[in-house]
Amino acid sequence: MEKGKKPFMNEKEIIDGCLRGSPVSSRAMVDAYGNLVMAVALNVVGNRQDAEDVCQETFLQVFRHLARYDRSRSFKTWLLTIVYRRSLDMIRKKRRFSEFSVRARFEPAVAERGGNPHPADPKPLPSALLGRLSPRERTALCLWANEGYTARDISEVLACSASTARVYLFTARRKIKTLLENDHGLLQNG
Amino acid sequence: MAFCKMVDVIYAALPIRPLRAFLIRSHMESCSRCQARLLSRAEAGKLFVASDQIGNTEGLWQRISVRTGSGTPVPEAPPTPAGAGWRWAAAVGTAAVVAVTGFWLLREVEKPGFGPGFVGAADRFQIDYVNVGGAPAQTFVYQPQGTDTVFVWATKNP
Repeated sequence: MEKGKKPFMNEKEIIDGCLRGSPVSSRAMVDAYGNLVMAVALNVVGNRQDAEDVCQETFLQVFRHLARYDRSRSFKTWLLTIVYRRSLDMIRKKRRFSEFSVRARFEPAVAERGGNPHPADPKPLPSALLGRLSPRERTALCLWANEGYTARDISEVLACSASTARVYLFTARRKIKTLLENDHGLLQNG
Repeated sequence: MAFCKMVDVIYAALPIRPLRAFLIRSHMESCSRCQARLLSRAEAGKLFVASDQIGNTEGLWQRISVRTGSGTPVPEAPPTPAGAGWRWAAAVGTAAVVAVTGFWLLREVEKPGFGPGFVGAADRFQIDYVNVGGAPAQTFVYQPQGTDTVFVWATKNP
Protein backbone atom coordinates (compact mmCIF):
# COMPACT_ATOMS: atom_id res chain seq x y z
CA MET A 1 0.00 0.00 0.00
CA GLU A 2 1.17 3.49 -0.66
CA LYS A 3 2.06 5.88 2.05
CA GLY A 4 -0.31 8.79 2.55
CA LYS A 5 -3.39 6.81 1.45
CA LYS A 6 -6.07 5.52 3.75
CA PRO A 7 -6.67 1.98 2.55
CA PHE A 8 -10.15 0.66 3.12
CA MET A 9 -9.02 -2.81 2.14
CA ASN A 10 -5.72 -4.54 2.45
CA GLU A 11 -3.90 -6.03 -0.53
CA LYS A 12 -5.36 -9.51 -0.06
CA GLU A 13 -8.92 -8.19 0.15
CA ILE A 14 -8.41 -6.07 -2.96
CA ILE A 15 -7.06 -9.03 -4.93
CA ASP A 16 -9.83 -11.35 -3.72
CA GLY A 17 -12.43 -8.74 -4.58
CA CYS A 18 -10.99 -8.17 -8.06
CA LEU A 19 -11.00 -11.91 -8.65
CA ARG A 20 -14.70 -11.94 -7.83
CA GLY A 21 -15.16 -9.06 -10.29
CA SER A 22 -16.09 -6.49 -7.68
CA PRO A 23 -15.95 -2.93 -9.07
CA VAL A 24 -15.30 -1.62 -5.54
CA SER A 25 -12.16 -3.71 -5.31
CA SER A 26 -11.09 -2.68 -8.80
CA ARG A 27 -11.49 0.92 -7.78
CA ALA A 28 -9.53 0.24 -4.58
CA MET A 29 -6.73 -1.29 -6.61
CA VAL A 30 -6.51 1.73 -8.91
CA ASP A 31 -6.55 4.03 -5.87
CA ALA A 32 -3.87 2.01 -4.11
CA TYR A 33 -1.50 1.46 -7.01
CA GLY A 34 -2.48 4.08 -9.61
CA ASN A 35 0.15 6.58 -8.56
CA LEU A 36 2.90 4.00 -8.44
CA VAL A 37 1.99 2.64 -11.88
CA MET A 38 1.70 6.14 -13.31
CA ALA A 39 5.06 7.23 -11.88
CA VAL A 40 6.90 4.20 -13.25
CA ALA A 41 5.20 4.49 -16.65
CA LEU A 42 5.98 8.20 -16.81
CA ASN A 43 9.61 7.59 -15.90
CA VAL A 44 9.99 4.89 -18.54
CA VAL A 45 8.00 6.27 -21.49
CA GLY A 46 8.77 9.92 -20.80
CA ASN A 47 5.50 11.73 -21.38
CA ARG A 48 2.21 11.97 -19.54
CA GLN A 49 -0.18 11.08 -22.35
CA ASP A 50 1.60 7.83 -23.17
CA ALA A 51 2.04 7.09 -19.48
CA GLU A 52 -1.74 7.39 -18.98
CA ASP A 53 -2.33 4.94 -21.82
CA VAL A 54 0.23 2.56 -20.31
CA CYS A 55 -1.48 2.90 -16.93
CA GLN A 56 -4.89 2.11 -18.35
CA GLU A 57 -3.61 -0.90 -20.30
CA THR A 58 -1.73 -2.12 -17.24
CA PHE A 59 -4.81 -2.17 -15.01
CA LEU A 60 -6.93 -3.78 -17.70
CA GLN A 61 -4.23 -6.43 -18.04
CA VAL A 62 -4.15 -6.90 -14.27
CA PHE A 63 -7.93 -7.33 -14.02
CA ARG A 64 -7.91 -9.74 -16.94
CA HIS A 65 -5.04 -11.94 -15.73
CA LEU A 66 -5.21 -11.59 -11.96
CA ALA A 67 -5.92 -15.32 -11.64
CA ARG A 68 -2.42 -15.98 -12.98
CA TYR A 69 -0.79 -14.00 -10.19
CA ASP A 70 1.30 -16.25 -7.94
CA ARG A 71 0.44 -15.23 -4.40
CA SER A 72 3.75 -16.41 -3.02
CA ARG A 73 5.41 -13.52 -4.83
CA SER A 74 5.13 -9.78 -4.37
CA PHE A 75 2.04 -8.30 -5.98
CA LYS A 76 3.79 -4.98 -6.47
CA THR A 77 6.61 -6.63 -8.41
CA TRP A 78 4.10 -8.53 -10.57
CA LEU A 79 2.28 -5.27 -11.24
CA LEU A 80 5.50 -3.45 -12.08
CA THR A 81 6.47 -6.23 -14.49
CA ILE A 82 3.26 -5.53 -16.41
CA VAL A 83 3.87 -1.77 -16.33
CA TYR A 84 7.38 -2.29 -17.66
CA ARG A 85 6.22 -4.54 -20.51
CA ARG A 86 3.41 -2.21 -21.44
CA SER A 87 5.82 0.71 -21.38
CA LEU A 88 8.20 -1.13 -23.70
CA ASP A 89 5.27 -1.86 -26.03
CA MET A 90 4.42 1.85 -26.01
CA ILE A 91 8.02 2.85 -26.74
CA ARG A 92 8.14 0.37 -29.65
CA LYS A 93 4.83 1.65 -30.97
CA LYS A 94 6.00 5.25 -30.77
CA ARG A 95 9.27 4.35 -32.46
CA ARG A 96 7.43 2.65 -35.32
CA PHE A 97 5.09 5.61 -35.64
CA SER A 98 8.00 8.01 -35.50
CA GLU A 99 9.75 6.14 -38.32
CA PHE A 100 6.52 6.19 -40.31
CA SER A 101 6.02 9.92 -39.78
CA VAL A 102 9.58 10.66 -40.91
CA ARG A 103 8.87 8.64 -44.06
CA ALA A 104 5.52 10.31 -44.51
CA ARG A 105 7.12 13.74 -44.37
CA PHE A 106 9.33 12.83 -47.34
CA GLU A 107 6.80 10.63 -49.08
CA PRO A 108 3.44 12.44 -48.85
CA ALA A 109 1.73 9.66 -50.78
CA VAL A 110 2.22 7.30 -47.86
CA ALA A 111 0.26 9.55 -45.54
CA GLU A 112 -2.46 10.17 -48.07
CA ARG A 113 -3.14 6.46 -48.32
CA GLY A 114 -4.56 6.41 -44.83
CA GLY A 115 -1.62 7.02 -42.51
CA ASN A 116 -1.76 9.66 -39.81
CA PRO A 117 -0.12 12.75 -41.33
CA HIS A 118 0.71 14.29 -37.96
CA PRO A 119 4.30 13.71 -36.92
CA ALA A 120 5.09 12.01 -33.64
CA ASP A 121 5.13 14.40 -30.75
CA PRO A 122 8.06 13.39 -28.62
CA LYS A 123 7.88 15.15 -25.32
CA PRO A 124 10.83 15.42 -22.99
CA LEU A 125 11.45 12.84 -20.32
CA PRO A 126 11.14 13.98 -16.71
CA SER A 127 14.79 14.86 -17.04
CA ALA A 128 16.58 15.10 -20.38
CA LEU A 129 19.37 13.07 -18.82
CA LEU A 130 17.16 10.01 -18.62
CA GLY A 131 16.80 10.05 -22.39
CA ARG A 132 20.44 8.97 -22.57
CA LEU A 133 19.58 5.65 -20.95
CA SER A 134 17.99 2.64 -22.57
CA PRO A 135 14.47 1.77 -21.33
CA ARG A 136 15.91 -1.14 -19.34
CA GLU A 137 18.54 1.02 -17.68
CA ARG A 138 15.94 3.71 -17.00
CA THR A 139 13.56 1.21 -15.42
CA ALA A 140 16.33 -0.32 -13.31
CA LEU A 141 17.44 3.09 -12.07
CA CYS A 142 13.87 4.24 -11.42
CA LEU A 143 12.99 1.15 -9.38
CA TRP A 144 16.23 1.41 -7.44
CA ALA A 145 15.86 5.12 -6.74
CA ASN A 146 12.11 5.39 -6.15
CA GLU A 147 11.13 1.98 -4.83
CA GLY A 148 14.36 0.93 -3.14
CA TYR A 149 14.51 -2.22 -5.25
CA THR A 150 17.63 -4.42 -5.21
CA ALA A 151 19.20 -5.97 -8.31
CA ARG A 152 17.28 -9.19 -7.58
CA ASP A 153 13.93 -7.36 -7.39
CA ILE A 154 14.74 -5.44 -10.56
CA SER A 155 15.63 -8.68 -12.33
CA GLU A 156 12.10 -9.98 -11.67
CA VAL A 157 10.57 -6.91 -13.27
CA LEU A 158 12.94 -6.87 -16.24
CA ALA A 159 12.72 -10.66 -16.65
CA CYS A 160 16.48 -11.09 -16.64
CA SER A 161 19.11 -12.48 -14.28
CA ALA A 162 20.17 -10.56 -11.18
CA SER A 163 23.66 -10.18 -12.68
CA THR A 164 22.22 -8.54 -15.78
CA ALA A 165 20.02 -6.25 -13.68
CA ARG A 166 23.09 -5.31 -11.63
CA VAL A 167 24.94 -4.36 -14.82
CA TYR A 168 21.97 -2.29 -16.10
CA LEU A 169 21.78 -0.44 -12.81
CA PHE A 170 25.50 0.13 -12.55
CA THR A 171 25.72 1.35 -16.17
CA ALA A 172 22.82 3.74 -15.62
CA ARG A 173 24.29 5.15 -12.41
CA ARG A 174 27.68 5.64 -13.98
CA LYS A 175 26.35 7.13 -17.24
CA ILE A 176 24.21 9.72 -15.47
CA LYS A 177 26.94 10.60 -12.99
CA THR A 178 29.42 11.12 -15.83
CA LEU A 179 26.90 13.23 -17.74
CA LEU A 180 26.20 15.31 -14.65
CA GLU A 181 29.90 15.88 -14.09
CA ASN A 182 30.68 16.64 -17.73
CA ASP A 183 27.59 18.62 -18.62
CA HIS A 184 26.07 20.02 -15.50
CA GLY A 185 23.85 22.40 -17.47
CA LEU A 186 21.90 19.52 -18.98
CA LEU A 187 20.05 18.83 -15.75
CA GLN A 188 19.05 22.47 -15.39
CA ASN A 189 17.91 22.69 -19.02
CA GLY A 190 16.18 19.32 -18.90
CA MET B 1 43.63 3.44 -6.91
CA ALA B 2 45.64 1.48 -9.48
CA PHE B 3 43.45 -1.56 -8.84
CA CYS B 4 40.31 0.53 -9.44
CA LYS B 5 41.75 1.71 -12.75
CA MET B 6 42.60 -1.84 -13.73
CA VAL B 7 39.05 -2.97 -12.89
CA ASP B 8 37.72 -0.05 -14.92
CA VAL B 9 39.85 -1.01 -17.92
CA ILE B 10 38.72 -4.64 -17.74
CA TYR B 11 35.10 -3.51 -17.34
CA ALA B 12 35.30 -1.25 -20.38
CA ALA B 13 37.32 -3.63 -22.55
CA LEU B 14 35.27 -6.78 -22.01
CA PRO B 15 31.55 -6.20 -22.47
CA ILE B 16 30.62 -9.62 -21.07
CA ARG B 17 27.70 -9.28 -18.66
CA PRO B 18 28.63 -12.07 -16.21
CA LEU B 19 32.17 -10.71 -15.98
CA ARG B 20 30.89 -7.18 -15.50
CA ALA B 21 28.47 -8.36 -12.82
CA PHE B 22 31.35 -10.15 -11.09
CA LEU B 23 33.51 -7.00 -11.16
CA ILE B 24 30.63 -4.93 -9.79
CA ARG B 25 29.86 -7.43 -7.04
CA SER B 26 33.44 -8.23 -6.08
CA HIS B 27 34.92 -4.75 -6.20
CA MET B 28 32.88 -1.79 -7.38
CA GLU B 29 30.02 -2.24 -4.91
CA SER B 30 32.35 -2.29 -1.95
CA CYS B 31 34.99 0.22 -3.08
CA SER B 32 34.39 3.75 -1.83
CA ARG B 33 36.35 5.29 -4.72
CA CYS B 34 34.27 3.47 -7.32
CA GLN B 35 31.06 4.28 -5.45
CA ALA B 36 31.95 7.98 -5.49
CA ARG B 37 31.84 7.82 -9.28
CA LEU B 38 28.29 6.48 -9.30
CA LEU B 39 25.01 8.30 -8.99
CA SER B 40 23.68 8.07 -5.45
CA ARG B 41 20.11 7.04 -4.67
CA ALA B 42 19.30 10.60 -3.57
CA GLU B 43 20.68 12.09 -6.79
CA ALA B 44 18.79 9.56 -8.88
CA GLY B 45 15.60 10.24 -6.94
CA LYS B 46 15.70 13.89 -8.05
CA LEU B 47 15.63 12.86 -11.71
CA PHE B 48 12.50 10.73 -11.49
CA VAL B 49 8.89 11.52 -10.88
CA ALA B 50 7.87 9.98 -7.55
CA SER B 51 4.47 8.39 -7.03
CA ASP B 52 3.47 11.07 -4.50
CA GLN B 53 3.95 13.73 -7.21
CA ILE B 54 1.34 12.20 -9.50
CA GLY B 55 -1.80 13.45 -7.80
CA ASN B 56 -5.35 12.23 -8.20
CA THR B 57 -6.11 8.93 -9.94
CA GLU B 58 -9.79 9.76 -10.46
CA GLY B 59 -9.36 10.35 -14.19
CA LEU B 60 -7.51 7.09 -14.56
CA TRP B 61 -10.27 5.16 -12.81
CA GLN B 62 -12.91 6.78 -15.02
CA ARG B 63 -11.08 5.72 -18.16
CA ILE B 64 -10.65 2.20 -16.85
CA SER B 65 -14.23 1.86 -15.63
CA VAL B 66 -15.52 2.89 -19.06
CA ARG B 67 -13.75 -0.10 -20.53
CA THR B 68 -14.43 -2.57 -17.76
CA GLY B 69 -17.95 -1.55 -16.76
CA SER B 70 -19.50 -1.12 -20.20
CA GLY B 71 -20.43 -4.77 -20.40
CA THR B 72 -18.26 -5.34 -23.44
CA PRO B 73 -15.47 -7.81 -22.89
CA VAL B 74 -11.99 -6.34 -22.65
CA PRO B 75 -10.17 -7.30 -25.84
CA GLU B 76 -7.33 -9.72 -25.40
CA ALA B 77 -4.01 -8.03 -26.08
CA PRO B 78 -1.24 -9.79 -24.21
CA PRO B 79 1.94 -7.72 -23.99
CA THR B 80 4.79 -8.75 -26.21
CA PRO B 81 7.61 -10.22 -24.12
CA ALA B 82 10.63 -7.92 -24.04
CA GLY B 83 12.88 -8.46 -27.06
CA ALA B 84 10.63 -11.11 -28.61
CA GLY B 85 10.80 -9.53 -32.05
CA TRP B 86 14.57 -9.41 -32.02
CA ARG B 87 14.79 -12.98 -30.73
CA TRP B 88 12.60 -14.21 -33.57
CA ALA B 89 14.57 -12.20 -36.13
CA ALA B 90 17.87 -13.56 -34.78
CA ALA B 91 16.55 -17.13 -34.79
CA VAL B 92 15.24 -16.85 -38.36
CA GLY B 93 18.49 -15.21 -39.51
CA THR B 94 20.63 -17.91 -37.89
CA ALA B 95 18.47 -20.67 -39.38
CA ALA B 96 18.79 -19.08 -42.84
CA VAL B 97 22.58 -18.80 -42.57
CA VAL B 98 22.86 -22.43 -41.39
CA ALA B 99 20.60 -23.64 -44.22
CA VAL B 100 22.48 -21.71 -46.92
CA THR B 101 25.89 -22.81 -45.57
CA GLY B 102 24.75 -26.44 -45.32
CA PHE B 103 23.35 -26.40 -48.83
CA TRP B 104 26.54 -24.89 -50.22
CA LEU B 105 28.77 -27.36 -48.35
CA LEU B 106 26.73 -30.33 -49.57
CA ARG B 107 26.95 -29.08 -53.12
CA GLU B 108 30.71 -28.61 -52.84
CA VAL B 109 31.27 -32.04 -51.26
CA GLU B 110 29.35 -33.75 -54.05
CA LYS B 111 31.50 -32.17 -56.75
CA PRO B 112 34.12 -34.49 -58.32
CA GLY B 113 37.66 -33.88 -57.10
CA PHE B 114 36.57 -32.40 -53.72
CA GLY B 115 39.18 -32.74 -51.03
CA PRO B 116 42.93 -32.35 -50.68
CA GLY B 117 43.64 -33.88 -54.08
CA PHE B 118 41.42 -31.36 -55.79
CA VAL B 119 44.42 -29.51 -57.25
CA GLY B 120 45.16 -31.53 -60.39
CA ALA B 121 48.30 -33.61 -60.49
CA ALA B 122 49.27 -31.86 -63.69
CA ASP B 123 49.18 -28.53 -61.87
CA ARG B 124 51.59 -29.83 -59.27
CA PHE B 125 53.79 -31.60 -61.83
CA GLN B 126 56.74 -29.61 -63.06
CA ILE B 127 59.33 -30.41 -65.73
CA ASP B 128 62.25 -28.08 -66.15
CA TYR B 129 63.61 -29.77 -69.27
CA VAL B 130 63.71 -33.15 -71.01
CA ASN B 131 66.60 -34.20 -73.16
CA VAL B 132 66.31 -36.96 -75.74
CA GLY B 133 69.57 -38.11 -77.31
CA GLY B 134 71.40 -35.22 -75.65
CA ALA B 135 69.16 -32.59 -77.22
CA PRO B 136 66.12 -30.78 -75.71
CA ALA B 137 62.95 -32.70 -76.55
CA GLN B 138 59.40 -31.64 -77.25
CA THR B 139 57.39 -32.60 -74.11
CA PHE B 140 53.65 -33.07 -73.52
CA VAL B 141 52.06 -33.57 -70.08
CA TYR B 142 48.65 -35.23 -70.10
CA GLN B 143 46.31 -36.00 -67.19
CA PRO B 144 43.08 -37.96 -67.82
CA GLN B 145 40.08 -36.19 -66.28
CA GLY B 146 39.15 -37.32 -62.76
CA THR B 147 42.42 -39.22 -62.13
CA ASP B 148 45.73 -38.44 -60.48
CA THR B 149 47.69 -40.19 -63.25
CA VAL B 150 50.03 -38.04 -65.29
CA PHE B 151 51.48 -39.10 -68.62
CA VAL B 152 54.62 -37.42 -69.92
CA TRP B 153 55.25 -37.74 -73.65
CA ALA B 154 58.61 -36.62 -74.95
CA THR B 155 59.65 -36.64 -78.60
CA LYS B 156 62.87 -35.69 -80.24
CA ASN B 157 62.68 -32.27 -81.77
CA PRO B 158 62.46 -32.54 -85.52
